Amino acid sequence: MAYKYVGKSYIRPDAISKVTGKATYLDDFRIPGMLHAAILRPTIAHAKIVSIDTHEAESMPGVVKVVTGQGCKIHYGDNIRDLTPMAVDKVRYIGEPVAAVVADTVQHARAAMEKIKVEYEPLPIYTDARQALAKDAMLIHEENGSYWYLPTLNPVPGTNIANLYHLKKGRGEEGFDEAEVIIEGEFNYPLGSCSALEPHGSIVWFKEDNTIEVWSSSICPTIIRDDLAHAYGLPISDVRVRIPDIGGCFGYKSDITVEQTIAYIASFVPGYPVKWVATRQEDYTSTLIAHGIRVQMKIGARKDGKLVAMKSTILHTGGAYADTAVNITVAATHNSTGPYEFPHCDSTGYTVYTNTPAVGAYRGYGHQESQIATERMMDMLARKLNMNAFELRRINYLCEGKTNALGEMMWKSNGNVAACAENTIQHVFSSPKKVEDDQYYYGRGFAAVMKSPKGAPFSTKGCYIKMNIDGSVNINMGGAEVGQGLRTIVRQIAAEALKIAPEKVRVYSELDTQFSPYEWQTIGSMFTMQGGRAIVRAADKLIKILKATASQVLKTDEDFLEYDGDFIFLRNDPGIRVAVGDLARGYITSDGITIGELAHAVSDARLPRYSNPDKNGQGSMGVTYTFGAQAVEIRIEKKSGKILVDNVVSTFDVGQVINPLQIRGSVLGGVTMALGAALYEELLFDAEGRITNPQFFQYHIPTLKEAPKQIIDFIETPDPIGPFGARGIGEHSVIGIAPAIMNAVYDAIGVELFEIPVTPEVIKKALAAKAEVK
Amino acid sequence: MTEKISLTVNGKLQTIEVEPEMTLLDVIRDVFNLTGTKRGCDNSTCGTCVVVVNGKAVKSCNYPISKAQGATILTVEGISQGMTLHPIQSAIAESGAVQCGFCTPGIVMELYGLLEEKPEASEQEMTNALNKHLCRCNGYEPIMNGARVAQELIKERNKASE
Ligand code: FES
Ligand code: FES
Repeated sequence: MAYKYVGKSYIRPDAISKVTGKATYLDDFRIPGMLHAAILRPTIAHAKIVSIDTHEAESMPGVVKVVTGQGCKIHYGDNIRDLTPMAVDKVRYIGEPVAAVVADTVQHARAAMEKIKVEYEPLPIYTDARQALAKDAMLIHEENGSYWYLPTLNPVPGTNIANLYHLKKGRGEEGFDEAEVIIEGEFNYPLGSCSALEPHGSIVWFKEDNTIEVWSSSICPTIIRDDLAHAYGLPISDVRVRIPDIGGCFGYKSDITVEQTIAYIASFVPGYPVKWVATRQEDYTSTLIAHGIRVQMKIGARKDGKLVAMKSTILHTGGAYADTAVNITVAATHNSTGPYEFPHCDSTGYTVYTNTPAVGAYRGYGHQESQIATERMMDMLARKLNMNAFELRRINYLCEGKTNALGEMMWKSNGNVAACAENTIQHVFSSPKKVEDDQYYYGRGFAAVMKSPKGAPFSTKGCYIKMNIDGSVNINMGGAEVGQGLRTIVRQIAAEALKIAPEKVRVYSELDTQFSPYEWQTIGSMFTMQGGRAIVRAADKLIKILKATASQVLKTDEDFLEYDGDFIFLRNDPGIRVAVGDLARGYITSDGITIGELAHAVSDARLPRYSNPDKNGQGSMGVTYTFGAQAVEIRIEKKSGKILVDNVVSTFDVGQVINPLQIRGSVLGGVTMALGAALYEELLFDAEGRITNPQFFQYHIPTLKEAPKQIIDFIETPDPIGPFGARGIGEHSVIGIAPAIMNAVYDAIGVELFEIPVTPEVIKKALAAKAEVK
Repeated sequence: MTEKISLTVNGKLQTIEVEPEMTLLDVIRDVFNLTGTKRGCDNSTCGTCVVVVNGKAVKSCNYPISKAQGATILTVEGISQGMTLHPIQSAIAESGAVQCGFCTPGIVMELYGLLEEKPEASEQEMTNALNKHLCRCNGYEPIMNGARVAQELIKERNKASE
């Protein structure tokens, strides 16, 4: 459908402040009296703290306070309260806060931190879920099961299993008795990092009036606010959290993490704002990391290719604290079917405590990790059935009338994965494959993808609009701009809903719990859909208020009035009208007597009928889906084993494109990020549980020369939930890249791969093994 | 022991007394409060801290302040004239290259160092320059598009002032 402002490219409202260097990120804040913190991390990943000697540190220049976790009683977390702001008597991962120095400058704080002496008594170290699940494994949390946790979770006391989620659809595992062909595989998506360019950081200020003020490079101000209020026994209204510009998130700046640590440190120096910004190394070792998901998958099908049953087991290396990992495991588990219908499913997800940094959200939230298995297995199954892999997928796609693993019925309006696939296939597979030459093997690979958000019962998004006397509007929302372009989208949707030019819509720039409406957190590619719907609803309310006032001015019934962005007018005689600006503060009559309400409106929108899982692990937990299909063309350099990605094609059914320039940018970035995960990125651990590559020059992320050429297309099957038919797209572009590349490797050299990153060494080894077999 | 350093920053001659182990980035951000220049890493890999020193783009996090004695420094705050953006700024703003924007000032200054010295720079030279910068958001295509537009705008501007 053609809209006036939706579907067109507009420059971002924050572009100018960002190119001029005036955008303000966390580290750019300078508050009078501000002190700086440096945090000491352990030298081994799992150990009892025997003693901490802070004497020497305390007498170093500029030092105001040295803080340890001794006696700290605070436990926090949004899902499981297993976190402490600072290690109390035991460290469980290499980046954990052990002690901190507050000083006048960062340099002084760091110098003093070096002088703190800690004695440790080492404990066994588990950096992989399989080690921590071993029968005789030591408990990383003896308290497992006794922490407060959300009623939907299921920790297993006496084990390292922080949560166990099980899903059964149809007859579950018994369904395999209908299968004629069964295949199995085990796939691994190793630990990685979001690696945003701006390191995480926070400022916390305990004020003398018994309030707390916080700034954080985070996407969840309300969670931080509520959690700090709970920890320090204050009314929630006395904690104020502000979010400045954020230099990239991709997931790891969600949930409450570093803020509780900085708050704990700042609580020892009341009256002074305390700032901490992660070094690049700390951003890898001491904020949320990603993935760590191993998938064991079994698929049963009939000879004609009809899928019958799936069994999947998700082993999640969840990290030393599982608060942030549990929901990722759940999402990875119930989305492990990919975009296919299986009549019978038996899926189990284990979130396992390990001595690694806590795993948190990463663009895609569990989907790419389990769908790497699904999309590899579809190709493998097709070979076993001697069937075309596109045809195998086509007859099994989730589409109108099919039911997904959660038991949710699919409607036409959920989008068209078959059409996405057809378009992508057309781009990549319609010409013959290049033939091997002296230098290169050539291959092409495909993956279809599906993603739902990860909602929560309280995950609504608020919107506040106020109209000014010139008819322009100010709009406040609770959503964090991390670069995804949320401010542009808000502006365009509000302009469309209010029928006014985007230039008349000024979008907030800073989130502030004192002024912004409620939002759970800006995650799960949900903002356009939920936030957008909140804008439309608030706009409707605003127009209603304008009409109510105008009905008094024009002396007629409200339902006889029309609105066009500039005027409220009589339906049968547009000449009888009143300008909206004249209604903004109520209408002032000629004698000064004013009638009517202020023109401002508040609304919100949630995922309609989102529910908790039932006893089978099913329920309305997805609600909305975005489907897509991606394909790659690669070259493998024979000499080096290096994979060169020449072309990537992505097609997504996004319901309605809001901003073509921006949506292309989103997919371009997502694909590039996923290429990094597929080819280079992995956090590596040594025997002491230390991360051996916590720097950009060691943890290589793609550069300009490595970015592939991309073709990006969209299909628009309008979604009835989203604003003007739009649905989410922020995370989806990362999902299909790794399996498509691995499928292309098979196409090129006939080698089945089961894990990433696919480094040149992996390829060289595979080629050597293949040569040996010959 | 502090050291006395004189340098010109965004057109203004400044004399400061600083610890010699400070980097140019420390001084720009913490002494001059020019926070447009960003710190994205610990060891000169990301390019967010790039400024122009004596006409050349350099990583300020890896530039000892003592080396800046007498130097002319330009940061992202110093290249626009009032409300008029530098052509590189407007091209980058419009090309879709700005998402989170954390890499942006460094990239703008990298292009400034290249294109103001050498408006005829080849595609390869632009690629080589930009390859020193990490961006996690936009897949680089819009940055390259912006760079090409910026180059045209600079050429036009130079021609007009000839
Ligand atoms: S801060 Fe990363 S290169 Fe200078
Ligand atoms: S725009 Fe975010 S890092 Fe480049």
